[in-house]
Amino acid sequence: MEPIILTEDLKKVYRIGKVEVPALRGANLLVEEGEFLAVVGPSGCGKSTLLHILGGLTGPTSGRVLVDGNDFCCMDDADRTRFRRHKIGFVFQRFNLLPTLTARDNIALAQAIQGNGFNPHRFEQVADMLGIRAKLAHRPYALSGGEQQRVAIARAVICEPKILLADEPTGNLDTENSQLVLNMLRTLNRSFRQTILMITHNPEAAAVADRVIRMRDGRVVSS
Amino acid sequence: MILANVLHRPIRTAVSILAVAIEVVMVMIVVGLTSGLLNDSARRTEGIGADVMVQPPGASFFFGLSSAPMPVKIGNLLSQVPHVLGVTPVLFQSDSTRGLVNLIWGIDMESWNRVSGGLVYLAGGPFQKPDDILVDDIYAHANHVKVGQTVNLLNHDFHVCAIVNHGKGGRLFIPLATAQDLSVSHDKASIFFVKCTEPGYTDDVTAQIQKRLTGYEVRNMKEFMSLMTSSNLPALTTFVGALIAVAVAIGFLVIFLSMYTTITERTREIGILKSLGASKRYILGLILREASLLCAVGIIAGFAGTWAARKALLTSFPTLSIELTALWAVKAAVLALLGTVVGAFYPALRASQLDPVDALAYE
Repeated sequence: MEPIILTEDLKKVYRIGKVEVPALRGANLLVEEGEFLAVVGPSGCGKSTLLHILGGLTGPTSGRVLVDGNDFCCMDDADRTRFRRHKIGFVFQRFNLLPTLTARDNIALAQAIQGNGFNPHRFEQVADMLGIRAKLAHRPYALSGGEQQRVAIARAVICEPKILLADEPTGNLDTENSQLVLNMLRTLNRSFRQTILMITHNPEAAAVADRVIRMRDGRVVSS
Repeated sequence: MILANVLHRPIRTAVSILAVAIEVVMVMIVVGLTSGLLNDSARRTEGIGADVMVQPPGASFFFGLSSAPMPVKIGNLLSQVPHVLGVTPVLFQSDSTRGLVNLIWGIDMESWNRVSGGLVYLAGGPFQKPDDILVDDIYAHANHVKVGQTVNLLNHDFHVCAIVNHGKGGRLFIPLATAQDLSVSHDKASIFFVKCTEPGYTDDVTAQIQKRLTGYEVRNMKEFMSLMTSSNLPALTTFVGALIAVAVAIGFLVIFLSMYTTITERTREIGILKSLGASKRYILGLILREASLLCAVGIIAGFAGTWAARKALLTSFPTLSIELTALWAVKAAVLALLGTVVGAFYPALRASQLDPVDALAYE
């Protein structure tokens, strides 16, 4: 079976003024479908850049990136956006919920953007799974950190993406809520074979994953 | 989401709506005033019932801009034209002692009655003395004037001898001889109104008069009415056009600024939308729809404001005429929408082109 994610000699160089900053210097990665992978490494090692490229938020400078059989190097921004809409879910450290919308509307927004309309059955399923039914009418400011992150996870999975990309999902949570969120991710992976790639500084969070890879200086150094 | 965004910043939303409303009010009131004044003047002139008007060479069809170089004796000449029932001379005097410009009509009552069929008296009766003045009911209401009172016009005290129904010529009438004395234009008139025995003879009478008075401005009433439009006054058209342009510019600038600050404030939100897979078109459409919502509410508020402004102006200045038409309501709405879309387009475009990684990192 083909891996769901494959990168070969992946490079990304940011140009800031006249200065070139290499964020990835040839990252090689292979992720099987249904795998729960944790990516650890010091700050500035390229973890977030890797995530952004795999999510299609930015394009690679060189190298090969295959995500669910799609070669990102041949895709422009519009193509990557279209791909991301249907195949990728993001969970961020800072939750990134829209403050003017309720939890319900934040989750439904993902369905609206996807363009397949509101699916009430799927919505109820996800809300129950993440235990947020009682909080759907609340705006983000009225939710705890853990609740906000669960709403964010609901938004990320409502459209049944192929891959869930989580950037430090427990970074802003206390221990109890961190464990709650990690358990949710574990359940998604075990019960629904959701492919998850999670960036974390926390070794305890990394331990939840099937496999841990380490990055340093823009490269994958161990997997 | 659009409604939530609009309600999130109520002051900014209110200011944007107000700008569009002001734009609509300005357009409708300015156009309403200019067309109202023109049409009101035309209707009152038509209301005299005359068929032909004779003015001196080069005279403007705006009576207020006319002088009085025609001898009254021309009236005798006009009376001899076949199929003429009656001829009445009028001498115009402008008075601006009360802030507004009032056009006073000096008339010869006997010939005026023959041509117009007479004024309808609501109170009082015809001139008895040289200093008598007739006022129409709208003037009387606007200036709180009653029969028997004295009014000072043209630096002269007049005695109000009657209040007449509006709609026949001017709002203020004094004896022709008095007008001639006050303007030192003895035996002169500004215009002659001619009544034909039958309306069907109007063209013949017009042609005959033109033959006998070469160079004089001779117009039948139909021709006069067709001239009383703003398109025949290039300066007025330019003035109205300039005011409309200012109004649209106000709306454009406020919406531009409002949407620009909106997208700056919501940079991270735009990044979130992009991370969810929102396309550039989606983001562009979102901002434009938000601006359009503000515009729609502003247009409705503008219509309400126009109605209120018209009511307030007519209460303060009853002699004004402000005509609001459905056509110009549509034009004002279209102009407002155009200004909004153009104003919101650049901010919307900027938002759609934001780099998602940078936008997500924005504080």
